Amino acid sequence: MLNLLLILPIIGAIIISLLPSEKESNLNKNIALIFSSFSFIITCLIALNFDYNNGNFQYQTFLSWLPFLGLNYTVGIDGLSLPLIILNGLIVTLAIYNGETKQNAVNKPKLYYILILLLTTCVNGALIAQNLLLFFLFYEIKLVPIYLLISIWGRDKRNYAAIKYLLYTAFSGIFVLTAFLGLNFLTDGNSFDFDKITTQVLPQAKQILLLLTIVIGFAIKIPIFPLHTWLPDAYTEASTPVSMLLGGIISKLGTYGLIRFGLQLFPDVWGDISPYLAILAVITAIYGSLIAISQTDIKKMIAYASLAHINFVVLATAAGTPLSILGAICQMFAHGLIVTLLFHLVGIIEEKTGTRELSKLHGLMNPYRGLPFVGGLMILAVMASAGIPGMVGFVGEFLSFQGSFSVFPVYTLICLIATGLTAVYFVILLNRVFFGKMENKTGYLPKVQHFEHLPAVILAVIIIFFGLQPSLLTNLSLTTSNSIALLSN
Amino acid sequence: MDFSGQIASLLNASAILPEAIVIVTLLLVLIIDLIFGRKSVPWLPYFAIAGLLASVIALFYGWDNPNPTSFLGSFTSDNLSIVFRGTVALSTAITILLSIAYIENTGTSLAEFVGILLTATLGGMLLCGASELVMIFVSLEMLSISSYLLTGYMKRDPRSNEAALKYLLIGAASSAIFLYGSSLLYGLSGGVTNINTITATLQAGEGLESLGLAIALVFMVAGIAFKISAVPFHQWTPDVYEGSPTPVVAFLSVGSKAAGFAIAIRLFVTAFASVTEEWHFIFTALAILSMVLGNVVALAQTSMKRMLAYSSIGQAGFVMIGLVADTQAGYSSMIFYLFIYLFMNLGAFACIILFALRTGTDKISDYAGLYQKDPLLTLGLSLCLLSLGGIPPLAGFFGKIYIFWAGWQAGLYGLVLVALITSVISIYYYIRVVKMMVVKEPYEMSDIVKKYPPVRWNMPGMRPIQVGLVFLLIATSLLGILSNPVVTIANKSVSSSLVLKASLEARINNISATEIKTVL
Amino acid sequence: MDIQLEYFLILAAALFCIGIFGLVTSRNAVRVLMSIELLLNAVNLNLMGFSNYLDPGEIKGQVFAVFVITIAAAEAAVGLAIILAIYRNRDTIDMERFNLLKW
Repeated sequence: MLNLLLILPIIGAIIISLLPSEKESNLNKNIALIFSSFSFIITCLIALNFDYNNGNFQYQTFLSWLPFLGLNYTVGIDGLSLPLIILNGLIVTLAIYNGETKQNAVNKPKLYYILILLLTTCVNGALIAQNLLLFFLFYEIKLVPIYLLISIWGRDKRNYAAIKYLLYTAFSGIFVLTAFLGLNFLTDGNSFDFDKITTQVLPQAKQILLLLTIVIGFAIKIPIFPLHTWLPDAYTEASTPVSMLLGGIISKLGTYGLIRFGLQLFPDVWGDISPYLAILAVITAIYGSLIAISQTDIKKMIAYASLAHINFVVLATAAGTPLSILGAICQMFAHGLIVTLLFHLVGIIEEKTGTRELSKLHGLMNPYRGLPFVGGLMILAVMASAGIPGMVGFVGEFLSFQGSFSVFPVYTLICLIATGLTAVYFVILLNRVFFGKMENKTGYLPKVQHFEHLPAVILAVIIIFFGLQPSLLTNLSLTTSNSIALLSN
Repeated sequence: MDFSGQIASLLNASAILPEAIVIVTLLLVLIIDLIFGRKSVPWLPYFAIAGLLASVIALFYGWDNPNPTSFLGSFTSDNLSIVFRGTVALSTAITILLSIAYIENTGTSLAEFVGILLTATLGGMLLCGASELVMIFVSLEMLSISSYLLTGYMKRDPRSNEAALKYLLIGAASSAIFLYGSSLLYGLSGGVTNINTITATLQAGEGLESLGLAIALVFMVAGIAFKISAVPFHQWTPDVYEGSPTPVVAFLSVGSKAAGFAIAIRLFVTAFASVTEEWHFIFTALAILSMVLGNVVALAQTSMKRMLAYSSIGQAGFVMIGLVADTQAGYSSMIFYLFIYLFMNLGAFACIILFALRTGTDKISDYAGLYQKDPLLTLGLSLCLLSLGGIPPLAGFFGKIYIFWAGWQAGLYGLVLVALITSVISIYYYIRVVKMMVVKEPYEMSDIVKKYPPVRWNMPGMRPIQVGLVFLLIATSLLGILSNPVVTIANKSVSSSLVLKASLEARINNISATEIKTVL
Repeated sequence: MDIQLEYFLILAAALFCIGIFGLVTSRNAVRVLMSIELLLNAVNLNLMGFSNYLDPGEIKGQVFAVFVITIAAAEAAVGLAIILAIYRNRDTIDMERFNLLKW
């Protein structure tokens, strides 16, 4: 089952590459859509058959691949990767679907859909890899598709943003690889398999050094202040579907890596580093929120908001209690949904009005000339992001903060302020963009077709559904988060 | 035992059967060209390729030769040399495939080109197994002089002339320096020229003798570093790469370099075993300089061939990590990387040759927007460059990670970190080319690409390039994922090589001895 | 009286240094080629000296020297051919004017 998740998108990509012509954009898209929704269905099947009381890896496959490197094809899934894989399947499908109209039709559609499908495979692979080198392999492969996705289909400053992204991520890869190599040799392991590596045999100083390297590597990816400068550029310059992917799922790889290879591999010394990590997370959260307030570009505002919110995950991971890990996982899931929804809505607004400037947008709630339905969805997304009960965002944030409070009371409280700031900048956004009087010269905005906001509606439904039924979400990872966190104490 | 039988067993001439096949091919190529003239041209290169492949098969049957020493110890046909000789022969076979259209396009004689190329191959193959100072020198010069001729093959083109002259002068000087070093080695050992026995007679004395040995070491390093184009002996590389015919560059960057690394392993591990720390130190310095300078200067290049020249300097730096590691894994990672490098680098050159044939230029900016006009070429060049940059799942990634793994295991943390950082830099300039080809919109297309001729494979000489290119691309994409057998062969060749075995065992004993010391 | 081996070595070293000096300073391509010949002759002296004093039985050094002389001739032939080709194309053999290729 899990192997299908890796193979299906590649088959899709191959089929697309064999299509005769570039012109049939729809055909390319439909094939990509079929394959991505197939893999989404498979993730759902996996979730249904998943044994929720088992904290170990399930659906494991082991194939000896390159024994001289200790690189084996070892894949498996547990409560940590399961929600993220579901998220990946969903978001990729939506990003591929992402209401393509005549005006914003993708050029070079063949390459575009091939790259997105490859990206799906990489993300799935990284999430299910139970071998350190295998993880690194997928982690590195995704570099090129994302680079091309940003630099071909991005906005004006796309080259700069793409190169910046590439270099940051490549350096992140170096840190991760260095740590993995170190882990392998210092522990005298001949294999990079996750369950064969134990760090307990190492002296404390070496453990801290390795953990630090890993944390820096993933901190670039998440990102954590002061390594975050690639984020606003990459998120803003990318086109809407790519932003959805970047914010929705790619950023989760960083936090996933932090939990999997930081917390889970180094339970002994995690406590030595976690306070500093928590401070940085808090700084990033506050910093991101404050910068978001001062933005005039709504996409940039959302980029910074996403920066702030992903760092709640880092705080919860740093705390490492069972509840906070559960919270971190839920927050990752929630963050993925909400950020995707926000980017999608901004994409629609930009397409219809032709601008993302706060100063130029007014009164889009106008029922006749504006975008009332988009406005409604936006209000919902913003509420979810701010952590209003009844939405999935609340589940994540509540559990994270509740879990972290016992370990880092002060930092948690400061993070709560950051949540408060969320309300500030989103109210600014709503107020300026959707309320108030719509200027006459804006004229009638083109109507949003139903197919265009279909992804948004789906996301909104899921956000509310898991907000009302949080136990369905928490059940996915409860056992795993307990087992991960227990190691830490 | 009769006299001739005794001689035959002393010479053990069957060990050089693969070389003999190349010699026969070479002679036949020349004779056929003399007799039939230009009429024979269409099938002559394929004959040469067949000869080379036959030689590779002969190498394969020579695997695990129980009696590798031949010609009274001048030549060792052990598994290590077989792997390197195979690499050299294979690189020539592919180079010939790529050069047919190029040479015919310039109106020069193809048969002579193939002849000189085969001579260079012969020199390279002999160099890989040479284990005696005179033999090393003769085969080194055989490779070098043929390379000078190849570099200056376009005799009407002043750039080709200039490249040849520079290559010749620097090359001759460096081989003279190498020779001076070997004459010192001969003297210091009291008249021994066989590098396997030279160590025993080299007294590890103090004062003048160790100074002499150090001088010999430095001089011989200079000679070999020139062949593998390590900084600071690299100045010829960019000029020669830019000026000479592209197929020649393809051979120089792979075949000639592989031979250089083969002799580096053999010479330093055996003859300089008593100064192991010194040569490790020198090669560490060379590796760091090569990686940093090669990869950084490549950023600033505007010519594709010059960029690949600097990139090849950087790649040589990566390979040297394996040499410095001086372990089983180190050597086999070197072999593995060189083998993979053969495919990805020749693949890149195949694309450049193809582009140059269609447009007549090799400036990087002229590649802008190529994706719209020639997707296959774009895909090929992108794959090869990304593989050189070490992007998974292409072959280069596995090669690099194996080298880093081996280096890290040998405790060369600093060196591996430098390699990791410079490989990120290299990703930047490789991906710049990919971006140039793929990302540019139709209106940003270069004038050259706008006038790009329609892709036609049925023109004379194009089929071989197509076949070669597809083969190289498949190898580049799959060799990494399916690298197990290749690495097994590399490992086996290292572990079965008597030369390396002795050195590795000595090192292990040494290490355990120092460990005991530290414990005490 | 015996002439010691050291004298030969010193002479060879001096010749080698002269060769290197010529290599670095000459502007004329033919002179550079001649300097390389000097380097090789220094090596030959070295080899002959060692062969006479240390290896009088097998005289491998003398054999080595014969090989060196032969190959030096081949190298010179190729070198002169290339210089001839470049002279035809550029009408000069001044090293400083070969500057088509540079970064």
